[in-house]
Amino acid sequence: MSKNIINTTLLILVFFTFFSCNEKPDPPEIEQHIIINFDFKNNGEDQNFDTMMYINEAGNHYMVNEIQFFISDVILHNSNGSEFLIDDWKEIHYVDTDIPTSHKWEVFDNIPAGEYENISFTFGFIEEKNHSFMFPNPPERDMFWPEFLGGGYHYLKLNGKWLDENQQISPFDFHMGIGQIYYSYPDSIIDFVHNAYKVVLPNSSFELQENTTKSISFIMNIEKWFESPHIYDHNIWKGYIMQNQEAMNVACENGHDVFTVKF
Amino acid sequence: MKFNNQIKYLSISIILLLIISCGEDKPEPEPFQATPYQIEIPYGFPTILNIPEDNPMTVEGIELGRLLFYDGRMSGRTHPDSLMSCATCHIQANSFECGVNHPEYIGGFTHGITGKPTPHVMLPMINLVWNSYGYLWNGIISKDNPNPNFKNIEALVWMGIVAEHEMNSDTNLAKEVIQNIPGYPELFKKAFGSETVTVKNMNRAIAQFVRTLISANSKFDKYMRGEVQLTQSELSGFVLFTTEEGADCFHCHGGFGNPLFTTHLYYNNGKDSLFTGEYEDPRDRYHVSDDPMDLGAYKATTLRNIELTGPYMHDGRFATLDDVINFYSHDLVWSPYVNPLMHHINDQGVQLTPQEKANLKAFIQTLRDEEFLTNPDFGPPEKFPDEK
Repeated sequence: MSKNIINTTLLILVFFTFFSCNEKPDPPEIEQHIIINFDFKNNGEDQNFDTMMYINEAGNHYMVNEIQFFISDVILHNSNGSEFLIDDWKEIHYVDTDIPTSHKWEVFDNIPAGEYENISFTFGFIEEKNHSFMFPNPPERDMFWPEFLGGGYHYLKLNGKWLDENQQISPFDFHMGIGQIYYSYPDSIIDFVHNAYKVVLPNSSFELQENTTKSISFIMNIEKWFESPHIYDHNIWKGYIMQNQEAMNVACENGHDVFTVKF
Repeated sequence: MKFNNQIKYLSISIILLLIISCGEDKPEPEPFQATPYQIEIPYGFPTILNIPEDNPMTVEGIELGRLLFYDGRMSGRTHPDSLMSCATCHIQANSFECGVNHPEYIGGFTHGITGKPTPHVMLPMINLVWNSYGYLWNGIISKDNPNPNFKNIEALVWMGIVAEHEMNSDTNLAKEVIQNIPGYPELFKKAFGSETVTVKNMNRAIAQFVRTLISANSKFDKYMRGEVQLTQSELSGFVLFTTEEGADCFHCHGGFGNPLFTTHLYYNNGKDSLFTGEYEDPRDRYHVSDDPMDLGAYKATTLRNIELTGPYMHDGRFATLDDVINFYSHDLVWSPYVNPLMHHINDQGVQLTPQEKANLKAFIQTLRDEEFLTNPDFGPPEKFPDEK
């Protein structure tokens, strides 16, 4: 009788001890991630803000006060021909020079290990993704593009000042988004132009090894906006271009080589 | 046998201990819980609310806050001639500003109970639950302020009680007076779990009430929801409002994509050219941010009910909406600190024609929200707790 009790008690003790304290560990998951950092350069040096210290290709003396922009549809192009679209949790990232936390995008996606030939992204958003009200909260909200001008959101706000032909310091708002085709300017719009464009980052091949996180810097080289293939002269395009598709088209074409990458 | 019994008792004890140790603890009395209050997000409005974790919205807290907001004894005084409440200046019919038609605050310029003028004119008290970028003209009350007492609307209540240019009172007096008014201790218990009146809970209650002051049913809101159409003049004004070629108001004051009609950010909008020496304002944004580009910068106010909230600008230099539109049209002043969004600065303004000015004003007037101005939930209580 007593033996039975002892046995039962021991059995219960073993049972409790075993199941109360231990969980069988899951096998470790293999995950690879990337972190995208955003940086701002001007002629190879860190961008200085609020200082009239730059001269663009047109000879305009200028300063930059703030930059805000969206990128979307970041694609990693594998050397085996496959593509990996970053779209887990979010596929659009907002960067604001006044918000340091926006300069670092810790991509949630688990990215296959391997060799990648290059990285591409959309500057702004393609038409299908540029919906009004998709960002109800600041700071992204404050990038909204007026409905009358096509709706959705600014792709870019690059605000600064330049020394104009009258030697006056004048503000410029280098803003990009949906352009308009006017029947009679500025009241009658007959069509819209979706100016978002694809950027293929040069020299962006990299290897992502198993169980690693790779940091990649996307660098916006500010001077490039005003350099090539078109020399952008603030004295010609003046201080605002949201209703000037010709100027925005120049900005888009210049924008293709604005970004470089650093690992 | 004796040994067997000992083993038996020992075994039973161990099992009992195991069972007891795994069972639930003795239930403790439930913590105090007031009735949660949920803010409904109007169409197009932000989904992120600025409600501090230590002051969740409750039905009881809001009702207590409304009573305190309107009770002149919040000033810590009981003599009829010395009473002052939040509502002394924040008048619902004027969108919770005093308004230019106020019998005591001539032209809308407020002063404290001692007669000392307030440093800046009032700001509209609308939709503040969506302001994440700081309160007051320079945003000094902000989550970024390292002082834990200067974070949110709660701090503004405290400031209102003690500031010389407002109630000029003492928080000990204020809480003592409220504590001794029959009915209030019970309401504090319902809202916060204790009959003891504290300044912290007074602040929390009023802040909760202020966070319910939501304007989202103006003619423009109805237009956004597809319920009404704007007139041709209003539509033309809307186009002017939201185009760079027009008046370009939207970059700072919102619009279809930002129905708060403010970014809640800070701009030097070209009012002045001098900001140092005798022209220095220790309450501009620069004195909070320490960024020279913020000299002479102030919060962009919401334009909701703006026709009722004169005088305009931080110093109330413009009495009417027409004055403001004329300023942005013809009278901008260049300085090195003017915000780059003011890209018409060297033309002295956006140069609107008289018809364009009329259209722009017509559009801005669609932001008047009568429901907000008359909502009984925001108005004075029918009676205070000690009234029968």
